Amino acid sequence: MKNNKTFRNNIRDRRISLSSVMTCMVACIVLVACIIGVVIFTSFYENSVEQNAITNSDQVVSQVENMVTNYTKDMSNIMEMVRVNMDKTEDERNDFFQNLIHIREDVEAITVHNEEGELIAYWSNESETVLKHPRYNNLSYTKLEDDGLYISAPHVQNLFKNYYPWVVTFSQKMQIEEDEVIQVSMDIRFSNIADYVDAVGIGTHGYCYIADKDGNIVYHPQQQLIYAGLKKEQSDNIREYKDGTHTLNGVIYTIHSLKNCDWRIIGVSYVDEQIGAKVSGMIRAVLFVAVMVILATVLAGALLAKTFSRPAKELASAMSRFVKEAESFEFYPVKGTEEIEVLSDSFGHMVLQIQELMEKVRNEEITLRKTELNALQAQINPHFLYNTLDSIAWMCEVGRTDEAIEMVNALARLFRISISRGHELITVEQELKHAECYLKIQKFRYKSQFTYEFKVEESCMGYLCNKITLQPLIENAIVHGLDMSEKGEILIEVYEQGQDIIMKVCDNGVGMTQTQCEEILQKDSHHNNGIGIKNVNDRVKIYFGEQYGVTISSELDEGTKVEICMPKILEEDYEM
Amino acid sequence: MKCSRKKRTAVLFITICLVMTVLTSCQLKQMEAGSDNSKINVAVIAKSTTSQYWKTTFAGANAASAEYNLDITFEGPYNEEDYETQNKMIRAAVENGVDAIVFSAVDYNANAEAIDEAVGAGVKVVVIDSDVNSDLVGCRISTDNYKAGQMVGEAVLAGEEESLKVGIVNFDKNSENGQQRERGFRDYVADNERVTIISSINVNSTTAEAKAGTIRMLKENPGINIIVTFNEWTSLGVGYAVQELGLADEVRVVAFDSNVVSVGMLETGEVDALIVQNPYAMGYLGVEYAWMMTNGEKLKETDIDTTTTLITRDNMYESDNQKVLFPFD
Repeated sequence: MKNNKTFRNNIRDRRISLSSVMTCMVACIVLVACIIGVVIFTSFYENSVEQNAITNSDQVVSQVENMVTNYTKDMSNIMEMVRVNMDKTEDERNDFFQNLIHIREDVEAITVHNEEGELIAYWSNESETVLKHPRYNNLSYTKLEDDGLYISAPHVQNLFKNYYPWVVTFSQKMQIEEDEVIQVSMDIRFSNIADYVDAVGIGTHGYCYIADKDGNIVYHPQQQLIYAGLKKEQSDNIREYKDGTHTLNGVIYTIHSLKNCDWRIIGVSYVDEQIGAKVSGMIRAVLFVAVMVILATVLAGALLAKTFSRPAKELASAMSRFVKEAESFEFYPVKGTEEIEVLSDSFGHMVLQIQELMEKVRNEEITLRKTELNALQAQINPHFLYNTLDSIAWMCEVGRTDEAIEMVNALARLFRISISRGHELITVEQELKHAECYLKIQKFRYKSQFTYEFKVEESCMGYLCNKITLQPLIENAIVHGLDMSEKGEILIEVYEQGQDIIMKVCDNGVGMTQTQCEEILQKDSHHNNGIGIKNVNDRVKIYFGEQYGVTISSELDEGTKVEICMPKILEEDYEM
Repeated sequence: MKCSRKKRTAVLFITICLVMTVLTSCQLKQMEAGSDNSKINVAVIAKSTTSQYWKTTFAGANAASAEYNLDITFEGPYNEEDYETQNKMIRAAVENGVDAIVFSAVDYNANAEAIDEAVGAGVKVVVIDSDVNSDLVGCRISTDNYKAGQMVGEAVLAGEEESLKVGIVNFDKNSENGQQRERGFRDYVADNERVTIISSINVNSTTAEAKAGTIRMLKENPGINIIVTFNEWTSLGVGYAVQELGLADEVRVVAFDSNVVSVGMLETGEVDALIVQNPYAMGYLGVEYAWMMTNGEKLKETDIDTTTTLITRDNMYESDNQKVLFPFD
C-alpha cells in the first residue's frame, strides 16, 4: 500500500498536462517554421535583391558610360572643329573661338602652344583676368581615341589671377603648316558630366564615379569628401578588377570601361543597405507573428485546459474518490468537450450501476440471513411439534403403538434432515425423505384425508437442492389446497429438464386465483407459522440466481401446481 | 468558484486581445512611419558666415546633412567678436527645438553659459574649430591648434634668413583657437636663437583692421622680416599691408587658411606659406557626430583632430595640395 502510494506520487510529479504539451509543441513548431521561413525567404530574397541590385547597377553604369562616351565624342568633335578653324584667318579664328566659348559655358579656356611650349594664343571667358603662366604644369594625360586627342585628370586651372576652377584639359597636337606643330588645349569645367553623375543613384546610397585606368579619380560625386580625406575608394582593388560586376565586403562594384578612352565608370552600391533594412523589417514582422501565434497558442492551451484537461482531471479525481468511498460517492457530471461529456456520462452511469449492485448485494445478504433464520425457526415450529406430539401421545393411549413408533421415527428423521449439520444444501434424496416424513406425520394427523404419490427420476437423486423446499409446498397444499370434503391427492414429481431439475408439487384442491398466486410469492407468511413459499423462492434465487425459483400455476376448483426450478449441481461441484 | 474562474478567463482573454491589438497597431505604425516625421534638426552656429573658411565648413556640413537626411541651418554673427549674438543664436535654436548644435565659439568664456544652458535643455552640442569653456560639450572637432602653431614655427624656421625678426598679428584674445596657435608657435621658436619676436598685436578679425594694424607695426618696427598670422581675415589683412607697403620680397608672411585672394598672394609673393586647415572635414564631421549623438550612439572619440597642411609656393600645385587648397564645387 505504501509503495503504491509513493509510486503514484512519483507519477504525479512527472505528469505534464495535455494543454502545456500542446502549447509547447505548437510554440516550437511555430518557431521552427518561422526560422526556416525566414532563412529560406532571406536567402531567396537576398539572392534576388542582389541580382536586382547588380542588374540595376549595370544599367545605371551603362547609361553613365553612354553619356560620358557621348561627351567625349562631343569634345573630340569640337577639337575637330578647332583643328579646321586653325587653318582659317585670324579674324575668323577669333570669332569662332569667342563664339565657342560663349556657347559652351563649360569651356573655361582654349590655349595654343607651340612646340617649345610657348603660349601662342588663348581665348577665355574670364576677360578681366590676366594670364599669368605661359604654360601648364605637367599634367598627366590619357589618350582619347586614336586621333591624337588627350584628356587630363582633373586639376586646378591656374591661368588667371585669383581664379582657380577645377577643370579637365583636352589636348591635341595639330600640324598646321609643313613644319609647324602646335598644341591646342581646351579646359573644360566638368559640370555637364558632374551634374549627370551627381544625379545618378544606385539604391539609396549607391553612386557612380569616373576613374582612369590607374584607379585615380576623374570625377566623383563626393569628390570633396575624398579631397578632405573623409572618404576613400578601394582604388587598389578596383584597378585590378576587369569590367563587370564584383562584390567586395558587401559592396557591389560595377565597372565599365569606355570604348574610346581609358576611363572607367565605376558604380558603387551596397548590398546590405538594400537587403538589410528589409530583411530586418521582415524578421521583425515574422517575430511579431511568432509572438502572436505563441500568445494564441497559450490562449488555445488555456482553452483546451478549460474544456479538456481540467474536466479530465476532475473526472480522474472523481474516479479516485469513487475508488476510496464508493458508497457515499455522489457524482456531478463534468462539463467539457463532447468526448469528456460522453466519458463523464458513462462514468456516471457506471457509478449508478455499481452503487445499485452494491445495494442489491447488501440487501440480498440481509434477506439471506433473515430467510435462513426463518428456516431455522421453522424447523422447530412449536405448533407442529405440539400437534404431532399430541397425536403420538394419543396413539400411545389408545394402544396404537406401532403407529406411534412410526410417527416418532418420522418426526426424528424430519428434524435430523432439517438440521442436517447446518448445511443449507442437501441432496434431492434427503429432501424427498424429509418431505415423505412430513407427509407421513400429516397423514396420521389428518386421518388419511389425502393420498400422496412420488414420481422421481432416479438420476436426480444425487443433485443438490436447498433444504426444506418441498415441505413448505406440501404444507401449503395440505393446509390451503386440499378440500377436506373430498379425497385429496398430492403428487410430488422430480425430473430433469435440460440443465435444470424441476421439483413439482401438485394438488387437486380448491386452487387459487392469479392474484393469490402472486401474493404467496411476495408475502412473508409468518402468521402461518411455517416457512412460506416466498422464503423458498428467495433462498433458491439467492443461491442459484434470478432465473431459478418458484412458479405457481393454479386453477380454481382444479388444483395448484407449484414448481421449483434449480440448476443441476452435484455435491462434488459445490464447495460449502 | 466556478463563476469566478470563468470571469478570470474572460478577463485574461480580453487582456490578451487588447495587448495583441495594441502591438499590431504599433507594429503597423512602425512599418508605415519612416524617419520622415522625426527628422533631426541641427543648427550650425559659426563665428562668421562670410569667410571662405566657413563657407567650406558649411559645404561639409551640408554634405553630411544630405547623407544623414537631416534638417540643417547655418548662422553666425556679422563680426567675429560678437559673442552676444552667438549666445542669442544658441538660445533661439534651443527654443526652436533643435536636436543638436554644431558650435564654434567666438569667446572661450563668454559663450560657456549659453552652451551649458543648451545642454541642460537636452540639446547635443558638438564644438568645431574653436573651443568653449564647458564640460558639457559632447564632442570637440578641430584642428590641433597648438600643432598648427608649431607648423607655423616650422615654416618660419625653414627660411634662409640669418636672423628672424618676427611680428605676430593675432586676432581676438578671447578666441581660444587663436591663442593656442600663438602658443604653439611661440613654444616652437622659443629656443631658437635666430628668432626674435619683435612685436605682437591683437586685432579684430577683419581684413581692414588687420591691414591697418600690420602697417602700423611694420612702420614702427622696420626690422621685421617675418610676419605670422593665425586666421583667414588677418592673413588677408597682412597680405594687403605687405602689398601696399611693397615689401613682398623683404617680408616673409606665414599665414592661415585658404582663400582665393590669399592663394593669389601666395602665387604673387605677398604671402609665402599657408597653413591650410580642413574646414570641410570639420563641417562634415561636426554634423555627423551631432547625428550620432542624437541617435544615442556611443562615440569612439570625443576629441577629433582634423588635418592641417603646410602649403608653400613651390608645392601648391601638387596634386594632393590642390585638393586641400582649392575647394571643389
